[in-house]
Amino acid sequence: MTHLSTIEIQDFPLWDKMKEQRKLFSFDLEITARCNNDCRHCYINLPAGDQEAQSKELTIQEINSIADQAVALGAVWVLLSGGEPLLRDDFEEIYMLLKRKGLLVSLFTNATLIRDEHIALFKKYPPRDIEITVYGATKESYERVTGRAGSFAAFTNGLNRLLDAGVKVRLKAMAIRSNFHELPAIAAFCRVHTKDYFRFDPQLHLRFDGNKERNQLIKSERLTPEEIVILEKADEERFASLQKGCDTLINDNFAHVGCDHLFHCGLGNGSFNIGYDGTFRLCSSLWAKETIYDLRQGTLREAWEEFVPKVRDMRSRRQEYLDNCRSCTIVNLCLWCPAHSHLETGELDSPIEYFCQVARARADAIQEVPQLENMKTL
Amino acid sequence: MDITLDQTCVTSEDVVARIIEDELIIVPLVSGIGDMDDELYTMNETGRAIWSRLTGEKTLRGIANDLAEEFSAPQEVIEKDLLGLITELVRRKMVVVQ
Repeated sequence: MTHLSTIEIQDFPLWDKMKEQRKLFSFDLEITARCNNDCRHCYINLPAGDQEAQSKELTIQEINSIADQAVALGAVWVLLSGGEPLLRDDFEEIYMLLKRKGLLVSLFTNATLIRDEHIALFKKYPPRDIEITVYGATKESYERVTGRAGSFAAFTNGLNRLLDAGVKVRLKAMAIRSNFHELPAIAAFCRVHTKDYFRFDPQLHLRFDGNKERNQLIKSERLTPEEIVILEKADEERFASLQKGCDTLINDNFAHVGCDHLFHCGLGNGSFNIGYDGTFRLCSSLWAKETIYDLRQGTLREAWEEFVPKVRDMRSRRQEYLDNCRSCTIVNLCLWCPAHSHLETGELDSPIEYFCQVARARADAIQEVPQLENMKTL
Repeated sequence: MDITLDQTCVTSEDVVARIIEDELIIVPLVSGIGDMDDELYTMNETGRAIWSRLTGEKTLRGIANDLAEEFSAPQEVIEKDLLGLITELVRRKMVVVQ
């Protein structure tokens, strides 16, 4: 008789239960808002030496308490992110603390700070995976994006050391103005270095701290709707998949006419986000004051069980929103959501013209008759 | 390594066992537990009953006695099942023979 069997994440009994009611599965833990890079497009990269930001960071004791509470609520998976998580001197302690609680741990890093200790740590105690962003395929473009001399060499060194050690690494890229010319080379770089995964993201959102100067920089890095469509069409596999899923991306049923709820995504259903300063948010982009719960003043259970339902029940009376985004049939092709609306306008329910333009361009493109043979391969 | 019923075993510190939605989930902490580093494990009812008794206090024979009584099953069947599972768990470094 077989008493022991492996279980895949997708087979977890939790999924069936989640169909019936909200069940916690995962959470993101931003352990710092600081970063050693200064990426032009980034929404959370305070300077590495920012002492005020550092003083607000969760202590190891606070992280331990939050992790205990998350595990008690049933959390299975945690994503460590930032800022750059490896900037914290106590990173290894935090990582092991989470592992020892039986959590699967994933990590977002730029890989530039990988040291011997990290390699030894990840070899002995493997992460679920490490996701690294490739900002450029050459020193020039990479460092134009990161704003830091020497970062390309540090990145390639860190990445190669992780790969040589057999650590599971996934690569991704942001498609922005500064590296647009190099995206085919970035895609090739990613595919040479990892087999199972590569994705790029052209949709930049604004900063958590509302820094106007930096937000202007992010806007200047955004691609035009036409460029985004060209990019998507150039990835044959991805674009064919979009076209195949056309009915699930564009559908009259998406128009929630008569419904004034703000949130129609899955946020807060199976996951949440913990900010570097102990703020509990329903997703990493949601920074509106009225949607944030301070874990330094309360408990995770209260946040999860009482605060989340209140946020999910928030409604809009703005006719411009109800007549547009709320009743939009291509909303699944759009970056728009209440969180991004707040970052752009300070309101949770304002349409954003740039997002509309991108969504319309993407919708037009995927509804075209496929002419894949004419596309340049990315 | 041959495991006998006179030995005692404990669960390894290289794994973390959790009850999630009424299922026992075993999460490997170190590499080399499974064929893949990100594999998780679960156990059926009998396996779970065995796992909870791997505290080093009783020999495997003592555990088999308890289980035979609890599940109203023949002692020899339980002993064979128990040794089979323990051998598998020891091979995967989930259990340590004392």
